[in-house]
Amino acid sequence: MIELRNVSLLYPNGVRALDAVDLKIEKGEFVFLVGHSGTGKSSLLRLLYREQVPTTGDVYVDGIAVHRMRAGAIPRLRRNVGVVFQDFKLLGGKTIWENVAFALQVTGARTKDVMRQVPRCLDLVGLAQKSRMFPSELSGGEQQRAAIARALVNNPKILLCDEPTGNLDPSNTTEIMELLQRINTKGTTVVVATHNQAVVDRMRKRVVRLENGRIVGDEERGFYFLGLGQGQVLSG
Amino acid sequence: MDWGKVKFFLGEVFANLTRNAAMQLTAIGSVAVAIAMLGTFLFVQRTAAAVSDQALQQIEVSAFLSDKRDLKADSGLIARTGALPGVAHVAYVSKAQGLKDLRDKLRGEVDTSLLTTNPLPDVLRIRARHVADVPAIADAVKALPGVADVQYAAKTVQRVMNVLGAAQRVGLAVIVLLVLAAFQIISNTIRLTVYSRRREIAIMQLVGATNNYIRLPFIAEGVVAGSLGAAVAVTLLLTAQHELLPALAQLITFIPFPTQAPDLIPLALQLLGAGALVGAIASWISVGRYLRV
Ligand SMILES: Nc1ncnc2c1ncn2[C@@H]1O[C@H](COP(=O)(O)OP(=O)(O)OP(=O)(O)O)[C@@H](O)[C@H]1O
Ligand SMILES: [Mg+2]
Repeated sequence: MIELRNVSLLYPNGVRALDAVDLKIEKGEFVFLVGHSGTGKSSLLRLLYREQVPTTGDVYVDGIAVHRMRAGAIPRLRRNVGVVFQDFKLLGGKTIWENVAFALQVTGARTKDVMRQVPRCLDLVGLAQKSRMFPSELSGGEQQRAAIARALVNNPKILLCDEPTGNLDPSNTTEIMELLQRINTKGTTVVVATHNQAVVDRMRKRVVRLENGRIVGDEERGFYFLGLGQGQVLSG
Repeated sequence: MDWGKVKFFLGEVFANLTRNAAMQLTAIGSVAVAIAMLGTFLFVQRTAAAVSDQALQQIEVSAFLSDKRDLKADSGLIARTGALPGVAHVAYVSKAQGLKDLRDKLRGEVDTSLLTTNPLPDVLRIRARHVADVPAIADAVKALPGVADVQYAAKTVQRVMNVLGAAQRVGLAVIVLLVLAAFQIISNTIRLTVYSRRREIAIMQLVGATNNYIRLPFIAEGVVAGSLGAAVAVTLLLTAQHELLPALAQLITFIPFPTQAPDLIPLALQLLGAGALVGAIASWISVGRYLRV
């Protein structure tokens, strides 16, 4: 589903954000990207939705060679890859319903499909009752659920989340992670970049560890810190 | 027809127009001024062209025919002259007719009974469709067999052509300037709306909207601003024509002002089209600059 081969990313300012990264993620996987601030987690995600182009190396997403894709083909890729951010990126002037519908409408979707898909996604994230409210009238957790509904409305095969719980309290965090897990169970490949140790340690999913732009660890059912659960870190 | 789509699109355009309402009004007003000036200018130019055309109808090429020519070939000569490019009209004036005309013209001033012999040649009087063609026609006629000499008011033709040429160059410069001004104003406005909607645009790109789709509402906005400005200008011009021209026509009788409404309708349509087109192109470019990755 996702494959990076010997990928390096050098920003114009000379920062080497990714350095010879090899990574393969299969269809239906749930993967955490962890590592210190500035180690290239967001940069890696940006390659996957073609916000950045690798300086060298190959990036494949759902069989598409993203690294040598024409600009005109980007919209099609983006409809297959949902993205969720720490700051939600909702439009304040639009209701929750309109925010979710917007993602379909701007792709030229038929009204019939909008009327079917939007309620489906709002139901999935549990916001059907609040669809007429504006983002400012919702809690942070609810806003993030709205953002997830918007990311899912095009039925993407992949959901990328960059610090999805960075602005949320523990109970909202738990809710969002349960939602992501549920989405993953339905077959969507989910990649989550996070600093949240509790979340990673509780969920016990695949953990890909970045350090200075390199992959330094990749474990099935891993922990936030290499080979250690939360309690062990505290006691050690 | 998917009315839901239409409604969404119109909503987006309306959001664009209302978000920077004050800025939009400035743009519409400025475009109106630019296009009103353009319209006034085109109107004046057209009037001047009509006046000069009328004046120039008096300029004729006279071809003096040789006395030793083959008289039987005259009808062929007239036909060939008439077929030359740019020739509007050819009249044959015989020696006898010429003398009679001269007598009529000089009657009372000169004792015409003194003219006992006829010194005049047979003449072809040729009118050109456009003054610019006159020298070429004169040359071509001179080369025809049976033509002894050719005359026309060369100096007048040259002077008129110089004036017309200068007027055309100045006019072109003025039009280019005014169109550029309108263009600049609209693209600045659009750039502001694009800027104020950059979050929307980023999200549109994120969820997979094509650049053309993102552009569309902004282009519609530019077309609306451009044509509203042009509409204001056209209204001003039509009012001015209706109220001012009759008064002007009475004051300045030597200029044949086109006072009937139909004369201005094509001009009005052209100005509206120009406003819409300038608006569309200006937005296309200013959004495009933003979308480039
Ligand atoms: N657009 C950019 N231009 C230049 N340098 C950048 C850009 N984005 C990120 N960087 C640099 O690239 C490196 C990796 O950044 P990135 O945002 O990928 O890290 P991160 O792992 O997501 O960090 P965090 O956990 O704080 O979000 C950093 O040194 C950062 O300063
Ligand atoms: Mg980051």
